[in-house]
Order: sequence, then structure tokens, then C-alpha cells
Amino acid sequence: MDILLSHISKTYDDNKNKRVVFRDMTAKFTSGLFCVIIGKSGVGKSSLLNLISGIDIPDKGIIQIGDAGVSDMTDTQRTIFRRKHIGFIYQFFNLIPVLTVLENVTLICELDGLSKKRYLDRANSFLKQVGLFDRRNDYPDTLSGGEQQRVAIVRSLVNDPDILLADEPTGNLDVKTGRAILEMISDLAKKNGKTLIMATHSLEAIDYADAVLSVVNQTLVPLSKEQIHP
Amino acid sequence: MNQHLLIKICFRQSRSHPLRTLLLIIGIAMGVAGVIAIDIAKTSVSKSFDLSTAAITSETTHQVVGSNFNIPQSVFTDLRTRLGIHRSAPVISTHITVMELKNATLTLMGIDPFSEMGLRNLTVRSRSGTTGKDLSGLLTHASGVLLSQAMASQYGLNQNDTITLSFGDRQVQTVISGFLDSRDGATNAIFQGLILADISLAQEILGMGDDITRIDLILTDAAMAEQIVKRLPDGVILVETRRQNRIVRELSRSFETSLTAFSMLALFMGIFLIYNTVSFSITQRRKLNGTLRALGATRKTLFWTVLAEVMIYALVGSASGILLGILLGKGAVHAVCSTVSDMYFVLTVSQTHITVPTLLKGFFAGIFSCFAASVFPAITAARTLPITLMQRSASESALKKYLPLFTLTGMVIIGAAVFMLNFFTRQPGVDFIGVFMIFFGSALLAPMVILLFVRGLLALFKKSWGSMTKMALRNITRSLSRTSVLIASLMVATSVYIGIDIMTSSFRCSVIDWVDSHIGGDIHVSSSDTLKRGLSPRLVADIQALPEVAGISVYNIHRIFSRTSGEVHIFSYITDLSTKKWSWTAADETQLTALLDQGWIFVSEIFAQRNRIEAKMGASVIIDTQTGPVSFRIAGIFRDFFMGGGRVIVNRKLMKQYWGYDDITSLQVFLHTPKTVAPVIERINAFVPESANVKVVSGATIKKGILDVFDKTFLITSALQILTAIVALTGILNSVMALLLERTRELGILRACGAETGQVGRLLLLECGFSGFISGVMALPLGGCLAWVLIDIVNRRSFGWTYDMVTSPKIFLGAVTLSSAAAIVAGIFPAVRAGRTDIGSALHME
Repeated sequence: MDILLSHISKTYDDNKNKRVVFRDMTAKFTSGLFCVIIGKSGVGKSSLLNLISGIDIPDKGIIQIGDAGVSDMTDTQRTIFRRKHIGFIYQFFNLIPVLTVLENVTLICELDGLSKKRYLDRANSFLKQVGLFDRRNDYPDTLSGGEQQRVAIVRSLVNDPDILLADEPTGNLDVKTGRAILEMISDLAKKNGKTLIMATHSLEAIDYADAVLSVVNQTLVPLSKEQIHP
Repeated sequence: MNQHLLIKICFRQSRSHPLRTLLLIIGIAMGVAGVIAIDIAKTSVSKSFDLSTAAITSETTHQVVGSNFNIPQSVFTDLRTRLGIHRSAPVISTHITVMELKNATLTLMGIDPFSEMGLRNLTVRSRSGTTGKDLSGLLTHASGVLLSQAMASQYGLNQNDTITLSFGDRQVQTVISGFLDSRDGATNAIFQGLILADISLAQEILGMGDDITRIDLILTDAAMAEQIVKRLPDGVILVETRRQNRIVRELSRSFETSLTAFSMLALFMGIFLIYNTVSFSITQRRKLNGTLRALGATRKTLFWTVLAEVMIYALVGSASGILLGILLGKGAVHAVCSTVSDMYFVLTVSQTHITVPTLLKGFFAGIFSCFAASVFPAITAARTLPITLMQRSASESALKKYLPLFTLTGMVIIGAAVFMLNFFTRQPGVDFIGVFMIFFGSALLAPMVILLFVRGLLALFKKSWGSMTKMALRNITRSLSRTSVLIASLMVATSVYIGIDIMTSSFRCSVIDWVDSHIGGDIHVSSSDTLKRGLSPRLVADIQALPEVAGISVYNIHRIFSRTSGEVHIFSYITDLSTKKWSWTAADETQLTALLDQGWIFVSEIFAQRNRIEAKMGASVIIDTQTGPVSFRIAGIFRDFFMGGGRVIVNRKLMKQYWGYDDITSLQVFLHTPKTVAPVIERINAFVPESANVKVVSGATIKKGILDVFDKTFLITSALQILTAIVALTGILNSVMALLLERTRELGILRACGAETGQVGRLLLLECGFSGFISGVMALPLGGCLAWVLIDIVNRRSFGWTYDMVTSPKIFLGAVTLSSAAAIVAGIFPAVRAGRTDIGSALHME
């Protein structure tokens, strides 16, 4: 599924101070590619992911994912669309502490009303791939940071979404674990034919990416690898 | 660190959650209002009683009364002329209604204006506007009466206007010949319940012939009292006014004691819910407090900051509670005074009396409960390491560490309470302390019970429940330090509801059973003439001859005076088809009639309680008769719900011998089939001459009338139930809102994962529903226990009533449903808000 952002403007109103994040920004993410978004803190990397996923809506402009006009959808429609087509990986893992590993992973499928038979095998298979099958009945607080992020990756893939969005997925991990997680996300996304958009500070991610973009002056600018590693 | 700055931070935090702050204040205000309203009702009854009796007895020290409430006027003449007691006055006193005053009940006092000069301070307003002791208006008009100026103004009545006095079936036209008025407000309040007439007019109105009700005396020495006693004929008694007033006053004390019990329950529940609200409010600031500590705020500063903030809300809440309490109290006074008038004695003056101690009691209840609620969290906030404060999980670990200790302490406290209630109930106040201990112990048991309950449910439904349901349940145990307080509060509120529900429904069942068996009869026939109460034997024979009639209970019932219980109703049966429920009998029930024939008597439970009769062989009681005090052996004590001084059953021979009555005043007619009630009533009415003033009503009407009176008695408890529900709802709503704040991030994750607004809302409602369900289940034994205390201890001791505790699955099912529904209703608003969680900001919270 291609993602098309057309003339997007977004302003946040924080206690009388208006902060313009995007102004007339247009961009296209081609299906199946791994794109990395880099930029300083607060430039709007996370906001971009929120707009693509329908968590937030633009003030102006159109967001088109495949044939679907996400920016024209109601909140419920966006929620259902996100549930079916988008997987999200966060910096702080964002697992539900009162659910076991397996329950966390299958939560989205349950929310979608799928039958257990349809998703349980898939969930277990992914857990085996990330080496957490034996920990499936444990609670997140008993896992290490890297393990928790692996659970989050499985959760983002279990409902077979078209797009994976990752917001600083290695920001809360040590260098070694971070690298392993990057590899895992990239591998799994490629193997499963997913479009992967990652917002990160980590320059290491660029090595795995097909394209690199940066948020500059409230718009997305493509960067060549040379521009990043001169 | 500057304390003002800290307080400012706290208030800004509160300002960002205005609804929760408002709920906190409402919670405190409701608790305080409940206490004040009931206290106002109680003190107003007391004051109204004092005013009503002051209107009748004034400053008299003694009264001469007859054993059947009538004495010949010649007794007064004898005391005045032979003993020379000039500070004495004959009085006729009875309650009448006045049509022009919207049928208000007043005390009609027939007085002798000349004798009154040296006795009572009855001031009358003259035409010129001055007030003085001029009672000549009673003598100048043949049917002149004096009425309170305030009352007359209220109803737009003027001098020489005609007013209609009703006494039983009698209606008499009288003329207002003057107004009672005083410069003193208290005296005017007394006058409001009074209507004065000359004694001869009163005798004429009431058809009393030459009889009077009593003689009021002001005696200064005991020797004179002794001389009077020696001169009094048989059946006429000298009593001390103050002592007699005290006895009558004691009658309603029981009712007021039960009100105290309920006000204590309201207070306790209020304290618990205020604790819940305040502790929630403080614990949710753990992180802020931790940050402040990390930045250099000392323990002491933090302690006082936490306390100061809560105390300011306590002040606002308590002050609002006072205003609300006064409003509720005014409504309660009417209900309580009406119950006292129906069941104990007629309150001719009904005033709302608000005292400073009442307001202070409520105010300090609010302040104290807020202090109690905030002191522990404030100490915790001050004593805990900053890093621990910043971690929410730390409070949960602390609770889990102390869980066995809490559980053990709870069990010990409940055990001690059960022991106390079983062995020390005779000591006043022990029952209330016992109830408090049971509640407190149960609250300490709550965390462990919740933990086991949730684990049990999860184990049982592990496979069949989805992740969202499991999440709702696990969330309860995850935030045990918060949810256990919430669940315990709801448990207390629900158990109060169950306790009151069981008590009122058990009582109603017993009253219905009593009306059906003891009063019984499909049709009741009695005289509606308060003076000529006898029914003609011919009427009895005619009714008995009707083919529809299966049988008749034939008896007479009269009021007699008792030094120990005030007014007592005495019965004697010719035939008795009713069945009584005995609480104690001296012999086998089959032999009781024989004992009655031998001169033994039956007494009601209330009479036994008032006369401190011990239910054992050889029990006896002294009753004043026309021939003087007589000791009677007691054959049985029967269950009876008529209030006042109680009831006594004697045989016909004793009734005639000691009280001079051998008439028939009432009949209970039993039909072959109840379907024929209406036609039989018609036929009985046809037997009655129009002049005879006979009242023929169906048993169903009597039953309805009695149940209406008893239902009115429980009006105040029903109001308390509603108050309980409101306070509980406010508490839960506040708690759920606080929990919601803690869960924002989690809800954001759910929404980001694709949970729809409805699904998130449902999760929260599920959590509320489970919390309500657990509270309801935990409240079942506690509510049952409270009902037992109310029925077996409070009601028996206070009213002298014994009745069986009737429980039904419906009550318990209803309570669980109610507590679950209350929690769900309280969760609706937070659930809607949860559904609207801003995912972006929620996810970036840490």
C-alpha cells in the first residue's frame, strides 16, 4: 500500500502558543520500502507517524493509504483501519502490564473480533521467531527491555498489517540490543512485505533503510546517504 | 522550601481537575449533611415535645389524675375548700382538630379563668394592643375560645370569627374571643399548639358532664402532697408533673435512639467515603510529592502541605454540608414529628430547632473524617523515600507486604466485635461500637478478599474469558491500594443498604403477620363517638346472625393511666378469635385462657419493657385501678406493635371490677369468604341507627392504615438509604476518575492498538462492574450482620419490639445488582472520557 501525504498542515496549540509542525507538506511512501525519518527532537517525527496511523488528523491536506482516504475518515473508521492495516512499535514498548506476553500479542486480533484459531498459530509462530515462545505466559514486567520490545514487534505484526510504523524503537535500549532489534524489525518487515516507516535518532537505522527523510522547515525532505554520512 | 509555593502547586493541580475537586467537596458535604439533618430532626422532636408539654403543664409541680383519665370536679372543690390549696386549677385537656386551620391538631384546654390567675402565665392581647393576664374573653362569650395570635394571623382569622372544633365525630362551632400573645418568643411558640376555652364549654364540647381531666397544682412542700394523697378517692392519683413528663418523653426516646443509630451509620459511611475520596486524591499525587521531595522539600513541609490542602477542602465541604444539612433537616423534622405524633404522643408544636452543638457536631465530623483520611497518606508521603514516591508500584508492594497483617488484624477485630455483641449488649453504646468494629475489620479484610476473589474468578474462567475481561479483573488487583478502598467503601454503603432493607422488610412482614393474626377480622366495627364508646348488644347479635359471618371477636378497649408507662390500652374479650404470637408464656399456650379467667393478665412486649418485667415464672406488675394500685400476675407476653405505653389484656370480670367497664367497644367480624366484605359492610351499616356513630370498616382498610403509619416511621431510614446511594455514587465516581487518570497511558496504548472508543469505555465499565459486584458479594455477610444488630439489639432495646429476621435471596440479589449497577453508573462518565483519550499525548506520558 502506498502512502500519500498531500499538502499537509498541522499546528499544535499549547497554552496559547501555536507550534506549526507541518506546513503544506507533501510526501509519498512507496509500498514495501523501509523509510527512516530523522530530525531533531520536537521537529514532528512522532507527529508524522501519528498522522499516518490516524491517531491524529491534519488541519489541512489529504492522507491517502492505498485507496483509503484516512484524513476523511471518522474516528471509529480510522481506529478500525489502524487495527487492520497498521502495526505500531514504540520507544517505551507500551505493553499492557496486566496481560501476559501472549495476551498482549493477540490483543489486537481480539479487538478485531477474530477467532482464536485464526491468530493463535500465527502469534505463537512469531513468538518462536523472536525467541519468546517459552515466555508467552509471563507478564511484561518480568522481561528485559529488549524482550519487551520483541513482544511489541510481534504484536505489531500478528494481525498481518500492510504498514509498520516504529517510533524510536531502539531509543530505550542499549546499543547491542538496539542493533539486534533493528535487524529484527527490518528482516521481519522485508520478509513479510511490509512498508516500514521508522522515526529515529539512530543513524545506524539508515544502513538498513531504502530511503531517508528529514523534517526540515515543517516539511519532509529526502536525504541521500551521503548527505548523512559525508 | 516555601510552603506557600507548595500549597499553590497543590491547588493548581486540583484546578486542572475541577470535576474531581468538586466531587471531593460534594462527598464531604453529603456526609456532613446526613449527620446534621438527623441531629436537627432529633433536637426538634425534643424541643417540640417540650413546647407541647409546656403548653399543657406550665410550671405545675404536681397533677391529680384519674386511673381512666377522668376525675369528678368535686375532687378539685374538695382540695380547694378543705385543704386551702389556692395554687391549683382544674383542667380539661384533649387533642382536637380545627377545620379553619387546615385541620391542624391543637390541644384544647378547658380552664377555670379564676383559678388560673395564680397558676399559669396565659397572656392575652387586648383590643388596644397591650398584653396582660385578662382571660375575661372566655366568660363574656358563651362559646368563646382564645387562639394564638401567630396562628390566627397565619390563617387570616380575626376576633369574633367562627372556628369549628372537631373531636371524634363531634363538630362544635366556637367564636374567637381573643388572642393569646406574649412578648416572649418562646411563650408564643408554646401558644401555637393551644386553644383555650372555659372549662364548662370544654365539658360541653367533649360531653364530659361534671368530670375534668386533671387538677394542676403548684406545691411547695412534701407534707401538703401527703395530705392530698390521703384525701384522694380510689382511682385518683397524685403524680409529679416533671416525672410524668419524663415518662411520656421516654416513650419516643427509643425512636430517637434508633435515629441516633442511623445517624451514626450515616456518619461512619460518610467518614469512610470521605476517606476514600481524600486518600485517592493524595495518592494520585505520589509522583508530584516525590518530585518535590527530590527537589528539597522536607518531610515536615510535605506533611503540612498535604494536610493543609485537604483541610481547606474539608472546610469548604463541611460549610456546604451545614447548609445542605439544614435544608435536609427541615424536611426530616416534618417526617419525624409526624411519626412521633402517630406513634407516641401528639406534638401540637412542630418546630425546626437548629442548635449550635448540632452544627458543630456535623462540622467537626467533616473536619475529623478529612483529617483521619489525610493523615495517613500525609505521613506516608512525608516518610517515604522520594524515589519510592515516584514509583506507583511501590505503594502496591507496600500493601502486599502488609496484606497478611491487615487480614489478621481484621479477623481479630471482627472476632472481638462478635464477642462484645454477644456478651456486653446491655451496656449502652456497645452495640454501636460493635457494629463499627465489624465494619472496620471487614474493611481491613477487603484487600485479601478482593485478591482471592479475583484470582478465583480468573482461575474459573481462564479459558472462556477474553483478554479485555481479564484485563478488567487484573486491573483491580494491580491497583489494590486504591481499588480496595473503593471496594470497601462501596461494601460499607451496600451493607448499610442491605441492613436497612432486611430490617424494614422483616419488620413489615412481622407487622403484616401481626395485623392478620392478632388484629385479624375481615370487618371491624367500633364506635366513632369518643365518649359513648359502647356498641349495642343488639347490633352484636344482628351481625352474628348474618349467614356470611363465620365468627366474631367481641371485646372492649379503654385507655387507662399508668404511672410507669403513661397511657396504656386495656382490653377484655368476650370472645377472641385472634391468634397472638407469644414471646413468653407462664404455661402451655393451651392453658393461657384458663389463667386469664383466674385473674392473670397478658401484657404486650412494649408494656413489659416499659415496666421492666422479666419474662420468668412469678412475673407480676402493679397497675393503678379505680380501687387503687393492684398487683397482677402475668400469664404471657405477646408481640404487639402498638406504641405508647403498651397494651394489657384482662378478663371481663377484672375489667368491670377495677376499671368499671363492661361494655362492648369493638368487634372483629370473620367471614366465610372475604369476597363478601363489601355487601356485609352494607348490611351491618343498615343495622346501625344514624345517630349511633358506629364505624364499620374492612380489615383491609385497617391494615392499610396501620402499614401506612409504620411505613411513615421508616421514611427517614429510606431517606438515609437514598443519601447512602448518593454519597456512594459520588465516592465511586471520584475514585474511578482518579483511576482513569492513572490509566491514561494504558488506555492510549489500547486505542493505538485499534481499540474503538466503545471498547475502551466497556473495559472501564467492566472494571467498575466487577468492583461493584465484588463489593456487593462482600457486603452480603456484613449487611446480614448489620440487620441482625438492628433487629435483635437496637430495635429490641429501643422499641421493645421483637421480630424475626426475614431474609430472601431477592434482597441479596438486589443488593449485588444495586452495587454493580451503582458502580457501572458511576463509571459511565469516566468511561466516556476514557474513550476520548488523546492517544498521542497518552503514549508520550512517562
